[in-house]
Amino acid sequence: MLKLKAMARTVRETIPLTVFLFLLWIIFTEKTNWEHLLLGFIVAALFARVSIFMIGGKLDPNLNWKVGLRFFPFAILLFWEIMKASWDVLTRVLRPSLPISPRIIEFDSYLDSDIAKTMLANSITLTPGTVTIDIDGKRFYVHCLAQEHESGLLEGKLERMVAWLFAEGPDDVRSLR
Amino acid sequence: MSNVVKDTLTVIFGLTGVLFFIGGTVGLLRCPDLYSRLHPATKCDTVGSISITVALALQIGLDMALFKILVVIFLLLMTSAPSGHAIGRSAFMNGVMPWHKKGVVPWPLEGGDRWTGH
Amino acid sequence: MSDFANEFLLAVAVVLIINAFLCLYRAAAGPTIQDRIVGINIVNTKTMVVLLILSTFLGEELYLDIALAYALLNFVVTITISRYIET
Repeated sequence: MLKLKAMARTVRETIPLTVFLFLLWIIFTEKTNWEHLLLGFIVAALFARVSIFMIGGKLDPNLNWKVGLRFFPFAILLFWEIMKASWDVLTRVLRPSLPISPRIIEFDSYLDSDIAKTMLANSITLTPGTVTIDIDGKRFYVHCLAQEHESGLLEGKLERMVAWLFAEGPDDVRSLR
Repeated sequence: MSNVVKDTLTVIFGLTGVLFFIGGTVGLLRCPDLYSRLHPATKCDTVGSISITVALALQIGLDMALFKILVVIFLLLMTSAPSGHAIGRSAFMNGVMPWHKKGVVPWPLEGGDRWTGH
Repeated sequence: MSDFANEFLLAVAVVLIINAFLCLYRAAAGPTIQDRIVGINIVNTKTMVVLLILSTFLGEELYLDIALAYALLNFVVTITISRYIET
């Protein structure tokens, strides 16, 4: 009985990765007859099982369906920020006087889990004139291109967005403002 | 969508992509040090390639190839930020100091002159 | 696909290739190793976009797969070399 439960859990852990790999298989082979689909399903299930066995465990426990649902508004907001940032960097670089004053700043984040910190670092790299150089515990080392970018970063809008996405941090920042 | 509208949109997106790519190249050649070169490299190139892939997707229309192009866009968004981060980190570990203007502290610790906190 | 869009996309590809050659200057003359990596990274991104354009221009689906492999390889190369020269 216990063995059956453990097997059921293993199958449940393998399902998301299997579905993902199977979709990729369909996109890359572009064939929909049943032989190819069967082969693809077998390969996807095998690969998912082996890689979960090798990584040793399941997906990050902070990832659940709520995060998946919240990801779409987050991605739209992030995309808008990326467009603004690129336009800003483009105009700065193309102007003959080159109005930049770069330097490295440090700040502490209140985010806790690894995946939230990774998401924050990626978002910082993709948005206004800031590139994450290193993360040490909770401390972020960020290279900023100009003063406006520094103050924009230290306002903490991105941090609030990520905190909302993963439902982390102090209570007063969990809502997106 | 009629052909004219499609072509116009293609031209708009293509020109935007070319503009961003040229910005990335100019930034790479003009900026004074490694860290500031990373900014055009990670941002302008991502947006430029996404813009051009959108132009291509408009021309292809609903097809299996469209999904492949979507996968490529997703990959670009996911991979450009970590590669810039890895390059910056390796320079940081090797002790490359950032270029700075005269009178600006290149690396203020907490409580530095322009530090505002949050 | 109309002729006009075809010609336009080809012109875009030509501009991108010229850009890539300009970026090679940074890869050749960069003072630090990291500068060279950035230059190569950008050249690779541009090559991938040119491959995407060519796949639409010539109607070859195969080029899409090559472009995808190129994008993945670009990422792996950048990460590996930067981690390797980290002291």
